[in-house]
Amino acid sequence: LITVFSGTVGLVLKIVFLAIVNALSLWAAIVLSDHHKWKAVVVLVVATLLIDAAYLAKRTLPLKFLIPGTVFLLAFQVIPVVYTVNVAFTNYSTGHILSQSEAIAAIKENSLSETDNGASYTMAPARDSSGALVLILQADSGKTFVGTRDGLKPIPKSDVKVNTDLEITSARGYRILQGAELSALDTELSQYKVPVGSDASIQPQGFDSAVVLKPTLRYDAKRDAFVRLKDGVAYANNGLGAYAASSGDELEPGWKTYTGTRNFGRIVHSKLVRGPFLKVFAWTFFFATAVVFLSFAFGLLLAITLNKPGLRLQRLYRSLLIIPYAVPAFLSLLVWQGLLNDDFGVVNRLFHISVPWLFDPWWARVSVILVSMWLTVPYFFLVSLGALQSIPSELVEAAKVDGGGGWQVFRRVTLPLLLVAVAPLMIASFAFNFNNFGNIYLLTGGGPAMGNSPIAGATDILISYTYKIAFAAGKGQDYGLASAIGIIIFFIVATISAISFARTKALENLA
Amino acid sequence: MKVGRRSAVLLAVVLAAALALVGSRATPAHAGAKAAHLTIWVDNVQKPAIDRITSAWGSRRGVDVNVTFHSFGTIRDDLKTVKAENAPDVIVAAHDWTGDLAANGLVVPLFPKAAIKKQFPKYALSAFSYGGKLYGAPYALENVGLVVNTRLVKVPKTFAQLEREALAFKHKDANNIAIAVPQGSGGDAYHMYPFFSGLGGYVFGHARNGALLPNRIGVANKTFLKNASLIDKWNREGLINSKVDYGTAKNAFLKGNAAFWITGPWETDSLKGAGFPFRIIQMPKIKYRSVPFLGVQGTMVTKYAGTHGVASLAKDLVANEMMKASFQLDLEQANQRFPANMVAGKRVSDPVLKQFGKAGVGGVPMPNIPQMGSVWAELGGAWVKATKGSGATPARAAFTTAARNIAAKIAGG
Repeated sequence: LITVFSGTVGLVLKIVFLAIVNALSLWAAIVLSDHHKWKAVVVLVVATLLIDAAYLAKRTLPLKFLIPGTVFLLAFQVIPVVYTVNVAFTNYSTGHILSQSEAIAAIKENSLSETDNGASYTMAPARDSSGALVLILQADSGKTFVGTRDGLKPIPKSDVKVNTDLEITSARGYRILQGAELSALDTELSQYKVPVGSDASIQPQGFDSAVVLKPTLRYDAKRDAFVRLKDGVAYANNGLGAYAASSGDELEPGWKTYTGTRNFGRIVHSKLVRGPFLKVFAWTFFFATAVVFLSFAFGLLLAITLNKPGLRLQRLYRSLLIIPYAVPAFLSLLVWQGLLNDDFGVVNRLFHISVPWLFDPWWARVSVILVSMWLTVPYFFLVSLGALQSIPSELVEAAKVDGGGGWQVFRRVTLPLLLVAVAPLMIASFAFNFNNFGNIYLLTGGGPAMGNSPIAGATDILISYTYKIAFAAGKGQDYGLASAIGIIIFFIVATISAISFARTKALENLA
Repeated sequence: MKVGRRSAVLLAVVLAAALALVGSRATPAHAGAKAAHLTIWVDNVQKPAIDRITSAWGSRRGVDVNVTFHSFGTIRDDLKTVKAENAPDVIVAAHDWTGDLAANGLVVPLFPKAAIKKQFPKYALSAFSYGGKLYGAPYALENVGLVVNTRLVKVPKTFAQLEREALAFKHKDANNIAIAVPQGSGGDAYHMYPFFSGLGGYVFGHARNGALLPNRIGVANKTFLKNASLIDKWNREGLINSKVDYGTAKNAFLKGNAAFWITGPWETDSLKGAGFPFRIIQMPKIKYRSVPFLGVQGTMVTKYAGTHGVASLAKDLVANEMMKASFQLDLEQANQRFPANMVAGKRVSDPVLKQFGKAGVGGVPMPNIPQMGSVWAELGGAWVKATKGSGATPARAAFTTAARNIAAKIAGG
């Protein structure tokens, strides 16, 4: 195979591949320079030239293998991690997604309120004899006016014609604007104001109506604060991405900004977060450990049983066992939820029992472990089967010749050899189950409630509990807090995995 | 150097191929006079109707309308992350996004004409209001009703009658369910709300301008707690059972194992195909009117309409054109929901839709403030705890705890 790829075929493939890479980056560079992103263009060009150099030169063999790995590492590991860490130090959450200048504009727009009498007008934009934009207005009372940037001027009612749809069709001395001519004036119209005294003004709403609006807040750029016009209450920049009054009352929206270690501080100080943390952590650890070890034990048992030479219908059994692994987990989780229903589920009906599988905290924990096992056993069955078959039979026979009993041979020879291959996979499976959001969320949603805790349910693991804190509490979504907790979970999993891998090394040395 | 020579040849070939692949790049279309351009994010159910009505409006206003399919479930969150140049000017929205989107500063307040506003029930407008301002134009109402299998039981006029009929039916067969209220272990506050409101429960109190107050929680208000012992009674006699989940409830009703089912217009097709006569009513009054939660669908103008220079066009479309009865009827045909415009509502002919519409009269819009996220699980959970059969928590205790937890969650996430 290698000879084929190092020949002409390889050369052609290489050229095609490089041509595609170059073409893509050429295209990207053109798009980027259209948007004046010069830094990105430089990075892109340099990276592309490096790739070309690496694959065209002869002496850079290691690089040819390192480059794809590095690219994927950057794209799927480094960038998300950097982004998460970055978000953890911001207030990115509901009400804090805009920039400050956007937030100021939005607060100004939101502060416009209809006056108490709520006067509204039927409107038609028009040009006067000098060609200036004016508004022909008819009040709800029927009185007609022409509105300009200087103010409101009454015009005789007989001058204005209104059709049955309450649209102004003509006005003497003015040319009513229509169609594309009108939509071309969109921005001008949406900013058009006819002052009517005491800060209030008539402002168009679309093309055929206008209302009297009055701001309730005024922005003071010098103090970087909003002042409520009614009573002079000042909303000052609180440094946390919002304008807040001394009473703590905040204006919406706020903006996204860096808030230092505040999110980590909240984890430590908030009773809501801290309260059930240890309980949830303990359960998460137990859940992941139990699922991995039970699944491994069960999968190994099945593998040994079905590995017996001369077993009839061996293929059938093996295929059947893989089914839970082949069915999408989302599907089987929802099916299990139905099967385990206390009163109407198949499991209880079939065995004529009434176990509160999902409604009792302890039984719910059992259910979660059992169902996760159902999903994990086939994996360990497959892995163990493969590993068993790769153990040289001479070793086992030699052990038997030396007088080892069945259990002794398994314990001293088979298992250690097996673990060399399977232990790293068990660690990976542990890390996966430690963060197995899908199983918990789809089966029990973290429930049932644990005592009277507001957030954590009996089967909540750290990641589902994080989800609840960040997305189902407070004021909507809190990405900053979620990222902060995510980082902490990462360190927990990384520590556990590191310790486990260190132990595995010892295992290898033994073998 | 022989290596260098071969590399040079290769490099030349590669570069030439790259250039050939890029080929003739289409010149970007910023040349020429720009016609006004309006982008709407719409889900696939409403797309045909909105296409039709906006193209007529677009040609009248001289604007290019770009109705883009966007899956309904992702519109709200995608609006928060979309780049300004790809952002929509108008979106189709559920009313309970209002608080979230307004608090984020992504949608702009609307001021429709008084004459048009008059055609809408007050609760449909308040559903799209946040902080006393309107942010959306409602076009469809959606709510649950009590569906009665009239082959099995009579349509109840009072709650006592419903209770009697339902229990009598349940006792006929071990597989029967008295009232099929979709719940399950996580609970479902939406489907149980008629019972909750009938006992005097509410979620948030409101200020004089109609703005909901997240610190005034009515989940365990005095009136409700006084009536809460009725829930314990229903649990004892088996009138309701939180172990009935959505699938169980639906199956039981369609198979004739339940004569009463709490569900909404999204099940219209399965109801029509059920093969037995049925009626949809508002659940009879318990202590108070047993009104359902209302979901209101509508359209909103995003802040990007201003950035794109089409703010007036967007407002004209949303707060004027789309609120008209003709548009609302057109959409009713497309999405099988009762129109929000009352003039259009009178002209609805589909009997199922009409009955669901009637079952929703006086309904309470699901609170649209972002703090509602702290409520759902607790409210549903309290109901589950109180109605899970044997071993249930007394309703009074369950709801008191829920109210305390909601307050804690809202105070500090």
